[in-house]
Amino acid sequence: MLSLDPPHPVLRRNKEQFLHFNQGAPLTDYSFVVCDTELTGLNKRKDEIISIGAVRIVNLQIELDQTFHRYIRPVHINPNEATLIHRITPEELKRADSAAEVLPDFIEFCDNSLIVGHFVGLDMSFLNKAARQLLGGTLSNPGIDTMRLARRYKDSGKIDHYGHHDHASSYTLDALTKEFGLPLFKPHDALEDALQTAYLFLYLVKKIRDGGIHSLKELYRAGRIRG
Amino acid sequence: MAADVHSLAPEVVVDFFAKIMPFTELDHETLHRMARHVKVDFFPKGTQLLHAGETEISHLFFIQQGGVKSFIIDDEGEVTLKDYRGEGDYIGALAIIRGTKANLEVETVEDTFCFLLPKAVFLDLINSQPGFSQYYLKSFSEKFVNTAYVELRRHKMTRRGDENLYLFSMQVGDIVKKPLRKLSVDSTIQQAAQQMATHRVASLLIHQPEAADEIIGIVTDRDLRSKVLAPGLAYTEPVRQIMSSPLATVLSQSTCFDALLKMMSCSIHHLAVERRRKIVGVITSHDITLIQGISPYSLFKEVGKQQKIAGLYPLSKKIPEMIRNLIKEGAKSGNISRMISILNDHILERLLTLLEEEMGPPPLPYCWLIMGSEGRREQTFKTDQDNAIIYADPKNEQQGREAEAYFARLARKAIDHLVECGYPLCPGEIMAVNPKWCQPLSVWKGYFADWVSSPDPQELLHATIFFDFRAGFGKVSFADELRQYLMELTERQELYLLHLANQCLSGRTPLSFFRNFIVEKNGEHKNKLDIKQQGITPFVNFARILALRHGVRETNTLARLHVLAKENILDESLWVKAVDAYEMQMQLRIIHQLNQIEAGAEPDNYIAPDELSELEKRMLRDAFEVIDRLHSVLKTMFPTP
Repeated sequence: MLSLDPPHPVLRRNKEQFLHFNQGAPLTDYSFVVCDTELTGLNKRKDEIISIGAVRIVNLQIELDQTFHRYIRPVHINPNEATLIHRITPEELKRADSAAEVLPDFIEFCDNSLIVGHFVGLDMSFLNKAARQLLGGTLSNPGIDTMRLARRYKDSGKIDHYGHHDHASSYTLDALTKEFGLPLFKPHDALEDALQTAYLFLYLVKKIRDGGIHSLKELYRAGRIRG
Repeated sequence: MAADVHSLAPEVVVDFFAKIMPFTELDHETLHRMARHVKVDFFPKGTQLLHAGETEISHLFFIQQGGVKSFIIDDEGEVTLKDYRGEGDYIGALAIIRGTKANLEVETVEDTFCFLLPKAVFLDLINSQPGFSQYYLKSFSEKFVNTAYVELRRHKMTRRGDENLYLFSMQVGDIVKKPLRKLSVDSTIQQAAQQMATHRVASLLIHQPEAADEIIGIVTDRDLRSKVLAPGLAYTEPVRQIMSSPLATVLSQSTCFDALLKMMSCSIHHLAVERRRKIVGVITSHDITLIQGISPYSLFKEVGKQQKIAGLYPLSKKIPEMIRNLIKEGAKSGNISRMISILNDHILERLLTLLEEEMGPPPLPYCWLIMGSEGRREQTFKTDQDNAIIYADPKNEQQGREAEAYFARLARKAIDHLVECGYPLCPGEIMAVNPKWCQPLSVWKGYFADWVSSPDPQELLHATIFFDFRAGFGKVSFADELRQYLMELTERQELYLLHLANQCLSGRTPLSFFRNFIVEKNGEHKNKLDIKQQGITPFVNFARILALRHGVRETNTLARLHVLAKENILDESLWVKAVDAYEMQMQLRIIHQLNQIEAGAEPDNYIAPDELSELEKRMLRDAFEVIDRLHSVLKTMFPTP
């Protein structure tokens, strides 16, 4: 399907929310949606999103009653691949809603929040690809990448390290979680990965410069994704 | 349609609460409903979560990962650690239920993730789940001793009939009731007696003639009896002649425990209470005995009253029971060790006094030395005997033989009695009964000089025991003279200190490369950690070496460290860390030994790391890391070429 004209109403509202976006307020004034997507593969042309997990952070606290977790029925189901990495069964995928149904709900859930993710550029490119195809536009929410934040944090040398420098070069969510000693979630479930990322985000925001990041601008400089 | 998965509470929260009391009692649906209201917050190490009396508590904190310490700060700014809480523990329930602000200072001691349960949701559970209120009420009654401590410090104590009063929660100022009675120093003894009779008081403060605020001494009933009536002193003499001066004072904010320690260590019964540099009253040992049913003081008094040595046996065996009460009241390890020292000293003093009466006076003055942990006032329950005798140098051979015979008998008897009192023999035979350790002062000086000049590794061990000596009974000046002599020796002998430092550094740090604990690999104590040898001793050794090098006369480890920090020899931040680490380990050790005694076992120093909570383990690791820092200080001070 080619792009719709005009874009889906949910995207128009989404865009309006960020027309006069103020970057100067304290971090506690913003809400963040930490999200993770599960994909059938990493090929941007042919692979698809099969689940989205997300959790909201308000006042720099994770709000566990504001989570989003949906499976998406892919256009091309390859049951073997999906069950291999994810805990989703092919049956579940077959019963799931289509991207056209899930995506607007997700965009509504994101509301006026900033989107946070680990290597969030990848998630955003799949989300935007689907949004362009199905809703005729892309999301306007600014994104923040916890991987970049982590790099920034480690470069600043402010790590409470125990001699783990030797394998500090890995920036996967798993490796960082272990390195910083964060509580552990089950991997490869979009919601739990989103939570894991949310923990990492809270940790980094409060540890970088000994909690010295106060405004969004400062955070942005540390963890902005490059377009 | 897909299942409406996003309305479910995340598994991690449900799993967490499903494992901790009293949430284990909740049915599946309630648990999930509750879990959805939970928020997650993260507090880096060193974040102050709650301020006593200030923070409004809007939710309960459950520690998902990390740890916090709670403490109180009294009016004088002194900080008292209350406890540590780790994973699965909660903070703030009491304040929420009672609708008060926070009642403790709470600070994270590591990076800490908390689940926050909103106040309303928690209160709803308390009201709707019968098991809930029961759980929290029960845990409060157990914790009451702790929290009462805080409450009582902040609010004036009103006495309730059925409740125990606590040595640690009552301030001295709270128990001063009678108005201050005082008299000029120029008054006669008779005027003093009349005043005491009129006001029905057992003591009078004595002030300067022209300045009623300038208190210089005290006269008690006992003074009238022993200094006036017995010797037949004229009643018209000035009271100045019989008063005790200078006056022993205690600050009104001090706890009754502190006052008691002071009375016991000075062997006095009256203390003047000082508030803002003014004397506001007098407290007596009797006042304190009244507030404490079976008190350390009554035990102390019983010891003093004994006329037969055998009467001391059962009394000394009451010490563990008394210590247990102190621990339950919240005493810190430092307080406990001091109390144990005072009682042990007192028993020793009574024992040797009675023994002298039995054997007849000694041919020469002597000093009974105590050494090792007793010498440092760092005993816990298990107190091996480490003692020795110094006596005056004999004038001739015959006097020498007499002294040798007398002190050998005295030592034999004393040590047998001490065993009966429950103090085990020293396995290294460092006891006065060993002829080598029962010698005239000049021989002792020779020993010390030999050890310091030719440090043979075997003899180095002696240093660790002997150099922490202090006078236990008898002629204190012998111990002082020996201390002075030793200080002059070691200040000249850098090489000797270098040997001591090297020996100290050769001990392995109790952390292996993988940050696991080094534990005993075989035998009776397999998989256990010797907290004394591996954890505490390095601090003791460190403090001793620096004390010897810098002429610090103290023998107590904390006191040594304190002096070193005050004189800027030890870095302030390292001092604070060392004190924390040392006290934490002593506390762990005392509680371990208490548990053993309660289980009917012999107390030892072997702790199983597996049985410690995660937080305790981490704290212990932190303590061990301080050892590394102390070692590097030693390395800098004594660089090896």
